[in-house]
Amino acid sequence: MSLSDKSNEEIGRLLAEYGIKHGPIVGSTRTLYEKKLEKAMEKAPAKASSDKTYYREEEEEITYITYQSPVTHETYAQADMLKRRGKAQPDEDEESDRATEPPIRITKRTANHSAVRSKEPVRKSGSGAWKAIRLLLLLAVLAAVLYYAYCRVINNEESTFSINVNSGEN
Amino acid sequence: MSTTSQKHRDFVGEPMGDKPVTALVGIGEILGKKLEQQGFDKASVVLGQFLLLRKDSEMFTEWLKDASGANSRQAGSCAQCLREWCDAFL
Repeated sequence: MSLSDKSNEEIGRLLAEYGIKHGPIVGSTRTLYEKKLEKAMEKAPAKASSDKTYYREEEEEITYITYQSPVTHETYAQADMLKRRGKAQPDEDEESDRATEPPIRITKRTANHSAVRSKEPVRKSGSGAWKAIRLLLLLAVLAAVLYYAYCRVINNEESTFSINVNSGEN
Repeated sequence: MSTTSQKHRDFVGEPMGDKPVTALVGIGEILGKKLEQQGFDKASVVLGQFLLLRKDSEMFTEWLKDASGANSRQAGSCAQCLREWCDAFL
């Protein structure tokens, strides 16, 4: 993959990637642009591609609830990966697990694999949040029903049958 | 660089026409020969290169240093005279 093998258009695209303003790439200008590209590549070899990776990540990344300032994606990705590998559970269980844990993590949904970073977790998109909300709702409803039943029992013991939630507090 | 040389004033004051490359500011005999070897035998051809690089002084000085072995000062003054010529006549 040497620069001199690339076509003029490809050189132009690479220059644009590295943010190098350039004119037409013709015989007399080509050597100059190749040199510039080489310098830029040396300075930041993976920068061009990693920018793309970040772009893709940020496209599909949805921050759940972060109690910390944004930390690098890598550490969380690795932590996520390790956790999931350790549990070895199917996706649905993992996502409900995530809901009950203290949400100090950034949840990522990256559907695309990037060539540079192959450590990124691949997740389903969308269902995790709704599952968590549904679960919470269920728990809330269950708690309300139990409380209501408890109040009724208390009322039945003390006095005549009356459905009054407030009296339960006496 | 507020003091301009006579060469500079001569160049920027009129259309360059068919002037040789040594008429450019900063380009003497030796540098001129090197440029001629690469096909840049007239000032207008060097102007063409300047325009191809979108009149970007930084790019042009880099190119000129590579192509002719000019130092930063010479390349810089050449770029400046070309820029001023363009402002006046282009």
